[in-house]
Amino acid sequence: MKVVRRILTLIPAHNEAANLPAVVAELRHRRADLEILVVDDGSTDGTTDVLERLGVRWLGWSRRRGVGSAVRAGLRYGSRLGFGVVVRLDADGQHDAADIERLLARLADDDVDAVLGSRYADQDAGPRFLKRALASVVSAVTRRRVTDATSGFWALGPRAVALLARHHPRGYPEPELHLFLSRNGLNVEEVPVGSRARLSGRSSLTATRLFAAAARVLLAVIIVPLRARVDS
Amino acid sequence: MTSRIQVVAIVGSVWFLLLVLELVRRRKLAEEYSALWIVGALALLGAAIRRDLIDSTASWLGIYYGPTVLLLGLVVVVSAVLLWMSVVLSRQQSEIDRLTEETAILAAEVRDERSKGRRRAS
Repeated sequence: MKVVRRILTLIPAHNEAANLPAVVAELRHRRADLEILVVDDGSTDGTTDVLERLGVRWLGWSRRRGVGSAVRAGLRYGSRLGFGVVVRLDADGQHDAADIERLLARLADDDVDAVLGSRYADQDAGPRFLKRALASVVSAVTRRRVTDATSGFWALGPRAVALLARHHPRGYPEPELHLFLSRNGLNVEEVPVGSRARLSGRSSLTATRLFAAAARVLLAVIIVPLRARVDS
Repeated sequence: MTSRIQVVAIVGSVWFLLLVLELVRRRKLAEEYSALWIVGALALLGAAIRRDLIDSTASWLGIYYGPTVLLLGLVVVVSAVLLWMSVVLSRQQSEIDRLTEETAILAAEVRDERSKGRRRAS
């Protein structure tokens, strides 16, 4: 008998007050059955007021701690509320809520612990050189084909939720997340998804942050496979 | 014969040792972080009292100029302390992250309960 699990949509957000109403509206239009949780990572643009008006579940803190911390807190909160499956997507509107169905369908397979929505899996016009190089490195280390190592569009099953609620990598964590899940024996699959430009505003990833993230990823590629497995 | 520099070194080492102990007494320096400083101060005091130890260590290490051993020791101790402090800082950052996340979750749970209470009351 197939177990019906409650599904939570988790959206980490930093200064996305302008985009959140449209993102939430699209989610409610496409999947009214999913509950929505936004984690406000130290926004200074009045995101909290927007969240109160939108009537979604939310949590947050006053200073920026990084998307990894936001996702970890969201997963922990969701898992305490009894959500066995979590769909994570970005708050800038680049992910199409219609693709959630495809991620969840793949996650329903028995042997799949997490599904990544890849923007480049199906496209002839692939990612830029650096992203392609990063995906190649992550593929080599995880011994699994990864076409989009920086995507923030995930569907996480019960095993992944339980593990990541305690151990989700910090900082700019997407590439490290692949390494971590692989190290701990979780099966990750990819499905192709569409990609749009952010609805408004600019990405908070500055050149300095990108450089720091790249250095961290380089270190993670060496260190994470050498770390002991963790108990969820 | 005791030279002036030896007296200064002994006084300086004793003063440093007392300073560390006083900071611990006033609870401005936690006991677990004082150990390396106390060991360092005692090592300095030992080297100041027994100067021949510096010379024999230098000779054993193949260092021609004895006082270089002191500098080498200082660099090793300071590097060890800095590395240790980085470990402590990382641990504390991790704990702060957890506490911040837990506080946010608790605040959300309180909000949920209040909202439920309001719905029941209306």
